[in-house]
Amino acid sequence: MKIIFSLFMLFGLLFANDATIEVIKKADSLPSVAVEDSTQSYDDTFKLKFFKSLIADLNVLSIFNVDRFHRYNDYEANSVLVDNKDSKYVIRYLLSQTDSDGLYVSMKLINNDEEVFSKNYKVSRKNIYMFVTHAIAYDINNFMGEPSVEWMKRKVMFSRIIGTKKSEIVISDYTLSYQHVVIKGGFNVFPKWANKKQTAFYYTALDAHRPTLKYVNIKTLKIKNIISSDGMMICSDVSDNGDKLLLTMARNGQPDIYSYNVNSKKYKRETTYGGIDVNAQFLNDNKIVFISSRLGYPNVFSKDLKTKEVEQVVYYGRSNSACSANGDYIVYKARESSNAFSNNTFNLHLISTKTDFIRRLTATGINEFPRFSRDGDAILFIKNYKTQSSLGIIRLNYNKNYLFPLKYGKIQSLDW
Amino acid sequence: MKSIILSSVVAALLVFSGCSTTEPAVDTKANTDMGQTHEVEAVDTETVTSEDSMVNSSDNGSNKMSMADIENSISPIYFAFDKFSIDATNQEKISAAAKIGKEVASDYSVKLEGNCDEWGSDEYNFALGLKRADAVKKSLVAEGIDAKRISMVSYGESNPVCNDKTQACWAKNRRVDFKLLP
Repeated sequence: MKIIFSLFMLFGLLFANDATIEVIKKADSLPSVAVEDSTQSYDDTFKLKFFKSLIADLNVLSIFNVDRFHRYNDYEANSVLVDNKDSKYVIRYLLSQTDSDGLYVSMKLINNDEEVFSKNYKVSRKNIYMFVTHAIAYDINNFMGEPSVEWMKRKVMFSRIIGTKKSEIVISDYTLSYQHVVIKGGFNVFPKWANKKQTAFYYTALDAHRPTLKYVNIKTLKIKNIISSDGMMICSDVSDNGDKLLLTMARNGQPDIYSYNVNSKKYKRETTYGGIDVNAQFLNDNKIVFISSRLGYPNVFSKDLKTKEVEQVVYYGRSNSACSANGDYIVYKARESSNAFSNNTFNLHLISTKTDFIRRLTATGINEFPRFSRDGDAILFIKNYKTQSSLGIIRLNYNKNYLFPLKYGKIQSLDW
Repeated sequence: MKSIILSSVVAALLVFSGCSTTEPAVDTKANTDMGQTHEVEAVDTETVTSEDSMVNSSDNGSNKMSMADIENSISPIYFAFDKFSIDATNQEKISAAAKIGKEVASDYSVKLEGNCDEWGSDEYNFALGLKRADAVKKSLVAEGIDAKRISMVSYGESNPVCNDKTQACWAKNRRVDFKLLP
């Protein structure tokens, strides 16, 4: 009997390969890494900023136990510092100035006093140094054979409310240490990258006579009007190749989902329910998930655009009002209490379209606007706790959340 | 004898002609008038002319003020948590607004701005704000306002009238505002 029982347990464990199951890695089983700075030029402030950015990125990788001390060593030294002798890995880097204020970085990864990996990086201006540390972390993560963290190198775009009916659209890195206001003035919301290369984006201008979807080419800085609609006009998602958009429009005050072909400039109504249908996301070229109030409360549904078949996706909760999809997984925002008189909490939950498992990803505060990374490894979201607005990252495979607070304003929506 | 009489007459004549018989020019009439003065009525201080100048100054200025005044006299419509239906009290306010739209504000169009409380900046909340504006629009049309005069926009939670984390403040933010357009 005992043998049969233990055989059953063994088979059960073999099939436990689902992102909805919580994976907890103990800190002492992670390899340690220390960082050695070999920089001769630049002042202490800049050297410290670069070092801190690299340490933060290594922490977010969640594959190392990171030593936070800032130590200096010669780049060509044959052995690591005595203090770092017990570290399994040592990352050594050297910053130097190019002509015209550019930054050149040499980096090597050392294991047992032997160089196992090295790479050089160059950027045209030293104020975008954080993109170099993100690239270093990405390359080391790849070298260690871990699942891709391509999202670390990508630009995040968000709209920040700075006053009543006033906002600005900002391009940043995932830590918010780099921020560049790309659209200033007016009331502009729901920015959305137009392509994988992040060379253009869409946004909604609410100051215009009617809400209007606009397109901006980042290189030429030219702004083009795409389409307008009375009441509401939002670009919810862009197809992988950038040719098709999913829009939420409200002709005659009726919010519905439309698909829009960028080349032919034609749109087609995809939902006909008389209540609210919004926030459509591509599951694949012909299937979408979206939020609808067709059951009397907001919930997550899927629709096949060819067969028009609609299916309920989430069977928990009484108010699930935002969602994002990647492969077989859907993350959605659920209100924990539907009582008008209590402090509301909104948490993010993850479900799989293939299994019954559901996993709660956040615990406190107002967590909203989830967005999967392209590789499905991480989820970007907005966290508002009391008066602090922050950008949050959830590493799905490591069950860890990271928060990057905003110094001023409130994040209204984001994309990456 | 005759010559003495004659010369004395001449002398007398001379004397009398030399003397002036006119008295100082005292206007006896004026004297009598002053004695008879009655109180004169105070002159009215009505500045008829300045009123005229106000009417002559730019007509646009006075029109803009009155559009803002009318806008301020229309009460916002309020909604329950997570709902876009209109209750009886707010229905009365819409009737009052429709009356204004047909009379004093008959030259203007109206933009209905839908708003929500602070729980969520996602698309669903914007849509809720819009459904609120749409409910008000349908009510106005039922009361006889031409639908072509009405446009709508939703601001979600981005246009609050207050920022306190209290029930009272959230209730004030769940509203539809009327904005007049020329």
